[in-house]
Amino acid sequence: MGHIKLTNVTKSFGAVDVLHDINLEIKDGEFVVFVGPSGCGKSTLLRMIAGLEKPTGGELAIDGKVVNDVPAADRGLAMVFQSYALYPHMSVRQNLAFGLENTRMPKVEIAERIGEAARMLEIEPYLERRPGQLSGGQRQRVAIGRAIVRRPVAFLLDEPLSNLDAELRGSTRAELAALHARLSATMIYVTHDQVEAMTLADRIVVLRAGRIEQIGTPLELYNRPANRFVAGFIGSPHMNFLEGTLEASGSDRAVATLKGGHRLEVPMAGGAVAAGSPITLGVRPQHITLDAGENSIPAKIRLVEALGSETVLHADVAGQKVLVVAPGQHDLAPGADIRLSLAAAPIHLFNDRGLRLERAV
Amino acid sequence: MKANVPRRSGSGLGEAAMVPVRLVMGAVDAPLRWVQRRLGIGGMATFFLLPNMLIFGIFVLLPFFINFAYSMTGGTALFLPDRTFVGTEQYARLFDCVNYADPNSCTEDTFWTAVGNTAWFVLLQVSLMILFSLVTALILNRDLMARSFWRAVFFFPVLLSPVVVGLIWKWILQRQGLLNFGLYSLGLEPHTWLNDRNWSFAATVGVSIWAHMGFYTLILLAGLQAIPKDLYEAAEMDGTRPARAFWRITLPLLMPNLLVVVVLVLIRAVQIFDEVYVLTGGGPGTSTLYLTQYIYETGFATQLRNPGLAAAASILMGVVLVILTLVQLGLGRKGENKGARK
Repeated sequence: MGHIKLTNVTKSFGAVDVLHDINLEIKDGEFVVFVGPSGCGKSTLLRMIAGLEKPTGGELAIDGKVVNDVPAADRGLAMVFQSYALYPHMSVRQNLAFGLENTRMPKVEIAERIGEAARMLEIEPYLERRPGQLSGGQRQRVAIGRAIVRRPVAFLLDEPLSNLDAELRGSTRAELAALHARLSATMIYVTHDQVEAMTLADRIVVLRAGRIEQIGTPLELYNRPANRFVAGFIGSPHMNFLEGTLEASGSDRAVATLKGGHRLEVPMAGGAVAAGSPITLGVRPQHITLDAGENSIPAKIRLVEALGSETVLHADVAGQKVLVVAPGQHDLAPGADIRLSLAAAPIHLFNDRGLRLERAV
Repeated sequence: MKANVPRRSGSGLGEAAMVPVRLVMGAVDAPLRWVQRRLGIGGMATFFLLPNMLIFGIFVLLPFFINFAYSMTGGTALFLPDRTFVGTEQYARLFDCVNYADPNSCTEDTFWTAVGNTAWFVLLQVSLMILFSLVTALILNRDLMARSFWRAVFFFPVLLSPVVVGLIWKWILQRQGLLNFGLYSLGLEPHTWLNDRNWSFAATVGVSIWAHMGFYTLILLAGLQAIPKDLYEAAEMDGTRPARAFWRITLPLLMPNLLVVVVLVLIRAVQIFDEVYVLTGGGPGTSTLYLTQYIYETGFATQLRNPGLAAAASILMGVVLVILTLVQLGLGRKGENKGARK
């Protein structure tokens, strides 16, 4: 079991409130990722669940039992630290055994669990080595192994891939996903990397300034971001935002005038926003095409990044920066005038407070 | 394409500070180039090391060899050319003993009394110094209120001259001192602390710990602070009891600092002199006479001074210190290798 429920949880350090009214339920076996920019409180939230920080207010329950005052060791959780926190003077085997020895577990069972975890993580050849004699990836596996041997109700992972190089991060990410599938254990994972969040999570919790901005599956967050912050945070490269004003709206379409006077037809239910209201259009760079047809706007290219399989264009639309990811290779140069079509793009609309406006289609 | 290089805008103050540097660099540039042409690039390392090697040679190596030469001479004359060569006679005299455990059976009974006293002093002082320094460092490493103040309090005695330390404690411990005044005020019987063999010995141990503990505490505190906090958090998650965390995490990771402290404390304990000389003068009797005081008095302070014997004793003390240090370093390395093999 690994059902975790947070009800109105708050955390303050002195006069500084770092988490506000956190309400969250994590189901048994779920892979939940806390994501957000630096300082948003995601690590503090994880540490509170771990028992390394005490909530200032609210209730934290694991498998139905309130654990606000339960010591970290008695919560049945295991944590993988960003720095791995391996004991440098102990061998890998001793690192794995250390926590189990605390529980006075019989040596035979300790050896069994270590063997099983070492086989699973393919670290058997390194059991007699010290952490300092291992590569970053191997250390990371040992850290995960130390969590696995404890057979916890839930795994807490605090940015475990951040110290790895890009290539290793990619492969370890896949291994973590496979490990979750194999163990079927609850995993709570903290990262500031939205690609990790998108690829690993069953559900993502987006945090900003100590508040939950949105909870949902990766595709929910990608397709229906609750606000401009989530829209900008989820997806790579980030979403383009074009400021404008709503001119008029019909039953399912509306016309918005962008800064610079360009007019665009956008999908929106009639009456959602009064005519003349400021509005922000959100369009993902991958959804913009280089067409001069319907619903297109003029732009000037500022920078061209040819990546081979795709071309990233940094363009300027009447003083507003727009990023376009065009599939394939394009013979374009900075300074060139082009037209960007939004005809096929799912356009996200946000009001002046940054909140999402429901689209008609 | 124009390179967009930001124009350097050095601050007036920085530029002004660089003027004397440039002047000096300009002045030494030509002579150094001349030296390099003569010595070659390889010889420049020796050239730059030369001043330090000279200082080391004049103030460390030369006195060591002169001291060794003195230990091979006899008589009371101070200057080496006036002294008679006696070979290893002084060493033989120091070791002329029927029973080393009984100083009275030795020709140089005072030397062996000093050796015995120093051995006890070292044993007690080194153990207690390390214990107190470690405990203090562990306490100061916690989230105490006014932590900086407490650190300063423990470090303050280190800043005092050993003579001042000796005098302060003499004023406290002497017959009409502060301690007896306090005891008398409380209606308790005063005691002649510095005239009692056991108490005066304990006083020299206690005072030397008080005077130097802050320094070693600081070294250990630096070691404790270098241990990553997340190791303790991982241990906390694993349900490690504080005592086990100390033995299995803190102590092994603190070992390099602890080893440095043990070596330094040991050397300093064997060399103890100034504060004890001021506090007890080696008394009562010879109960607090330690090796350095014996060497000093034999070489300079007695009417029939014997610089040769003092030099021989100091050479022996040096040899003992080198052996002890090597043994400790060896043990430390062995411990590391053993840990690595585990």
